[in-house]
Amino acid sequence: MKIKELISELQDFYLLSARGLLGAVKKPFYLKDMIEQMDYAGAGSFVIIFLVSIFTGMALSLQLSAELSSLGLKMYTGKVVGISIIREIGPVTAALVYAGRVGSGIASELGSMILGHQIDSLRVFGVDPMKKLVTPRILSSIIMLPALTIIGDVVSLCGGYYIAVFVSHQSGTFYWSSIRDVLTFENVFAGSVKPFIFGYLIACISCYMGLSTKGGSKGLRKSTTRAVVVSIVMIIVSDFILTRILLYVLGFSV
Amino acid sequence: MIVFDKVWFSYGINHVLKDISFTVSENERVAILGESGEGKTTILKLILGLIRPDAGKIIIDGEDITNKTEDELREVRMKFSIVFQEGALFDSLNVKENVAFCLREYSKLSEDEIDHKVRELLRIVGVEHAIELMPDELSGGMHRRVAIARSLAACEPKMFLYDEATTGLDPVNADIICKLILDLSKNGRGLILVTHKIFDAVKIAERFMFLKDGIILFDGDKEELVHSTVSEIQIYLNEVSLSCKANKSGG
Repeated sequence: MKIKELISELQDFYLLSARGLLGAVKKPFYLKDMIEQMDYAGAGSFVIIFLVSIFTGMALSLQLSAELSSLGLKMYTGKVVGISIIREIGPVTAALVYAGRVGSGIASELGSMILGHQIDSLRVFGVDPMKKLVTPRILSSIIMLPALTIIGDVVSLCGGYYIAVFVSHQSGTFYWSSIRDVLTFENVFAGSVKPFIFGYLIACISCYMGLSTKGGSKGLRKSTTRAVVVSIVMIIVSDFILTRILLYVLGFSV
Repeated sequence: MIVFDKVWFSYGINHVLKDISFTVSENERVAILGESGEGKTTILKLILGLIRPDAGKIIIDGEDITNKTEDELREVRMKFSIVFQEGALFDSLNVKENVAFCLREYSKLSEDEIDHKVRELLRIVGVEHAIELMPDELSGGMHRRVAIARSLAACEPKMFLYDEATTGLDPVNADIICKLILDLSKNGRGLILVTHKIFDAVKIAERFMFLKDGIILFDGDKEELVHSTVSEIQIYLNEVSLSCKANKSGG
């Protein structure tokens, strides 16, 4: 019975993910809803992404400076910070913050709409909830998470610069030239593909959890928690898989 | 016309409707009575195709809707106007935007025409003054009246469906809603009212169904209801007689 339920849930999730994305190419288009979602997801997340990124960059730079100093390789701080942030830490950190803030918001909003019969109202009025609610959230996440990741990367690198120059007493010019060196197509591509996938996953998982809410306020709590937890796990898992694929595709040897 | 033919429905292992069969013509005023959790709202959802029965057929105007797709059901749903329990207004939109929702979605009316129509509908239900308020700023009665206005904006329905339209309201507001429901049905449009408040049901309906343990325990008119020997119905009728006595003693 449990396996049957799990398969049925997975099927519903895949259908939602596919239909949500297909809604982008089929009329009617809810542009106003999408812009509203982009504002909530993007502009609303800017401050938290900024704060998390700057401290992540500073902590990373601090750790690496300390470790590399003991090996006499302090000048490589910029290079290692750059690669770590652009390829791995930047996209993952932004996605985790996004899942916590936006994913939970999507799940709780859709969940309360389910409980308040608002989704039923939409269906009665002939409006497809998938197009009206899911598609704008998926598209806004696919657009805004990469944008937030780029901002987060830049802020993290600045945080790393502050530590490298003012705490570890390294050359600022050398730090930035190391960063410039690692801004190769392979590194930038590897870092910029991930946020699109993460954004799509977070939006689909959160919409699915929200729309499958049942059981009153307790059920809403459960679906919101599940949305965040499943999103976080899926970000980490898919990050590993994507890293493996990207390293292979881009010709890196492991 | 709505036909339920041997309909079964369950939530998981809980069988809510068991082999239910009935027919409602489009100008009838029907009240479906029963305790909470007896499947009254489920019947409304089945009529609209929001959920599918486990077995049996649901026929609307001669068309079997049981296996229709969401797109095909859109046409069926346009025949009805529903007011969900507690209104189900979109809580991120104000009253005006709620009522205008369907007009904006489907009609080609200009903003001025939409504004005019929204005000007209709100005037009919008596809450024109609340046009700029958000749903959480409305009282229970206003909430239901706005929901009725919104359902009227949706289309020209053949029938009205009301889910616990007066539940949770004080007697004055409940009476206002009952009168409004009756007014809207004056031109021969039928309604199905789902409620556990028999006092309000007898004001509105001419036919009564009583659901218990997934089956229709009683189906008849007011006269038959009053003389029913079903013990559960007697409990409900006692409530009415107590209310009447209270009204008389209160002058």
